Amino acid sequence: MSDGQRAIDKLRDVIYQCNRCAHCFDLSWLGDYNKCPAYRFGVFESYTGRGRFFLARALVDGKTDYTAEIAQRVFACTECRACAEHCFKYISTTDVYAAMKEDLAARDLLPPRLAAGLADAGGLGEYHNVYQGSQEDRLAWLPDRSRVDKKAEVVFFVGCTSAYARQNMALDLYALLEQAGIDFTIMSDEWCCGHPYLAGGQMGKARASIQHTLDAVEKLGAKQLVFNCPGCQRAFRDDWTELTGQAAPFEAVHVIELLAERLKQGEIAMKRFRPKTMITYHDPCVLGRWMGIYDAPRELIKAIPGANLVEMPRNRRDAYCCGAGGMIRYDFEAMANLAGADRIAEAEATGAEMILSACPACVMQLQQSRQRAKSRLKVMDITQLLASQLQPLRAKR
Amino acid sequence: MSSLIEELAAICGAEYVSDKMVDRLCHTRDAGPTPGGVPAVVVRPRTTAQVSEIVRAANRHATPIFVWGRSTTFIGHGIQTGCILLALDLMSQIVRMDFDNHAVTVETGAIWHAVDIELAKRGWELAVPGSGGMFVCTVGGSVAYNSVPHGLAGYGMTGDNVIALEVVLPNGDVIYTGSAGNRAAGGLAFERYANGPDIAGLFIGSCGVFGVITQVTYRIRRKPDAERFAFYAFDSSDVALDAAQALQRRQVPTHMVGLFGGPKPTGLTGEAFLHIVVRDTPAGADERVSAAHAICAGYNGVRQDEAATERYWVHHMYSWLRNTPPEVYYSDRPYTCPEAAAFMPTQNVKDALRYLKNYEVEHAAEFAQHGIRIKCYDVYFSRNAAFLWIDTLFPELDAAAWQYGLKMRADYSEHLFSQFASPGGILAPLAPHIMPKLGSGFDFLRVLKAQLDPNGILNPGVLLLGKGEAK
Repeated sequence: MSDGQRAIDKLRDVIYQCNRCAHCFDLSWLGDYNKCPAYRFGVFESYTGRGRFFLARALVDGKTDYTAEIAQRVFACTECRACAEHCFKYISTTDVYAAMKEDLAARDLLPPRLAAGLADAGGLGEYHNVYQGSQEDRLAWLPDRSRVDKKAEVVFFVGCTSAYARQNMALDLYALLEQAGIDFTIMSDEWCCGHPYLAGGQMGKARASIQHTLDAVEKLGAKQLVFNCPGCQRAFRDDWTELTGQAAPFEAVHVIELLAERLKQGEIAMKRFRPKTMITYHDPCVLGRWMGIYDAPRELIKAIPGANLVEMPRNRRDAYCCGAGGMIRYDFEAMANLAGADRIAEAEATGAEMILSACPACVMQLQQSRQRAKSRLKVMDITQLLASQLQPLRAKR
Repeated sequence: MSSLIEELAAICGAEYVSDKMVDRLCHTRDAGPTPGGVPAVVVRPRTTAQVSEIVRAANRHATPIFVWGRSTTFIGHGIQTGCILLALDLMSQIVRMDFDNHAVTVETGAIWHAVDIELAKRGWELAVPGSGGMFVCTVGGSVAYNSVPHGLAGYGMTGDNVIALEVVLPNGDVIYTGSAGNRAAGGLAFERYANGPDIAGLFIGSCGVFGVITQVTYRIRRKPDAERFAFYAFDSSDVALDAAQALQRRQVPTHMVGLFGGPKPTGLTGEAFLHIVVRDTPAGADERVSAAHAICAGYNGVRQDEAATERYWVHHMYSWLRNTPPEVYYSDRPYTCPEAAAFMPTQNVKDALRYLKNYEVEHAAEFAQHGIRIKCYDVYFSRNAAFLWIDTLFPELDAAAWQYGLKMRADYSEHLFSQFASPGGILAPLAPHIMPKLGSGFDFLRVLKAQLDPNGILNPGVLLLGKGEAK
């Protein structure tokens, strides 16, 4: 807040809507399962949605001020939005958390590792990616540079995780777009989408980061950005609008939306997979609860002959967070590990041999969790499976 | 205080005790309209033995305890500043499902609906479906408040189906009620009225002032084979109530709800509405619902689409009573609801409704000034009587409106409890309006409290008991 006001004070009316019913952290009706990952980790109610609303109300009522302890509770949140999804009053709880984060960031009360990760020197501000890789290496995975910075209507926004940590995902999506007959380009000077800044309450820096991409896309004349990362997609689809009141001058779509539409139009089909392969699907929180995309990945999986989709008990709006969200791994590694272990156990219990997701961060988290659990479950991004299964049925457009 | 906190940490483990302000602030208030004080410490035991030790420590330090299940009550008295906040949500295990004896034993913090789901996997269910808070409320809390459940007409109150309790008394002793009290015989919980007086009854509806319920054995039943539904509109509340009484006499409903105020069901005309749920064998359900149709038709009831009744019953969302999906119904409801409620003979509901509607007319200007909205005058019918609840919503951000909301509740309560009614399971917030009217009954409770809890340790002030009485 540049005017010296606290962001939280503008949400007093929203905060007072909470009637403390506890639906935000208890999903017991789904069975013997955890509810909110932060509550599961933190034990005390101050880690829950209701707890954070108690704290927010104490803040707006002047009964307390921001402290490091409040920061601990607010940032120990995967931003999975399960609380908002189950709120009895349909309160957008995450708006309140975002305001608290913004205020905490303005007071230099970010948890230490997150603060370092987002820093201008030695962090995101310097490297423009959360892995602190050099900008020159961002496209090192590319087989050739023929598509870089060429004029095209579609931009493949690679994202930091695919560019630096899971380059096979970038390659698979690259191949998938080619197979689907999409004429696309890749930006040579791609920056972080800005999503991590939002998780750290640094709205100004998030705006600047998104603006960088907007300028680059304008130069290329593109009309559509394609993502494999829901966090990146949301930054341009929704966050930019919320930050500035203006829509981005292009369409931001997840590749599975694109492919599901082509499947529906009969433009693509799937090759036969190993018969009777049981596959379960993990809904990324940002793709599902934040953006409402639940059907597209399921339609694609079901379209693969031989694949047998089996749901985990917690799916779609009730899906449990894998622990990758909210940048919590920086300062709450144990919480991230606990959520990941829970999710792998839930997936294993379905009898599936493979768990798919549609988010590089979720996939990376689930892969690490599988390793720790010594599980035999195979973890893949849905685009990776589709890259081997897709076959175009019509001429390229 | 520091030595008390050290003792609590020694009992439960330091990670289960917090005197941090962030944790204490989150335990200052339930779902009711009245803020409380800030506790000195929050403690989260995992066993009955730990609860017992905590209560003994509280006595040694003369520090009151407030018991916290999921805190979805409307206790209203608030939590005393400087108390020990005893949060029981970690004690949430299902201890035993005993199908031979039609009983399930759970720890106090088990969530009502979570227990029901485990039973449903085996074809059984809890003897009552639970109260409005069933998705989040704890079994121990529901019993301690004797909440008014769905299925009231057929299954009775929450407390009617308790078989046995494990309770930590205010001195830290642990007792077991009913057949479970006979420890020499193994303490099997299968019969409530087993060893003389019904000791469980002392704790049911006591709001935690006489002991901390740590384990509940509850009656279960096989899920019925059939459910049938009926939904009727009537020209007036009086006629609808006559029909309801006729339905009660024939013992038709398993559950029956009457809508007598607040928004009408979407798209419907009429002045009052009855939702009827029947659960039975298929033949029995058919017969009973046919009787419902005949009775309602006899009172010129107009049959409505019972899909709304079924959705309400299946999802237990009150919004469906008014034909409205929850997201539409609740999203624009303003703020806090200082609920008032009362049991009364069915024939007295007519007078109560006349009073409420007159109150609306007489106070129309204040209602408009403070943004007061009537959410409902709804009735859950029991086997032979009626439980009327009055939801008035007000914008809590407006201090004047908040004060007016509390005044309205006081007015309603004073009137109803002076005429023909008693508050039932949500006794605690209405205690100032009912306890003094109980006369020698209140005196008896005060004596009990003083004897059981001479230091005024457990939930002092709740039900107007135990605050400053011991000394």
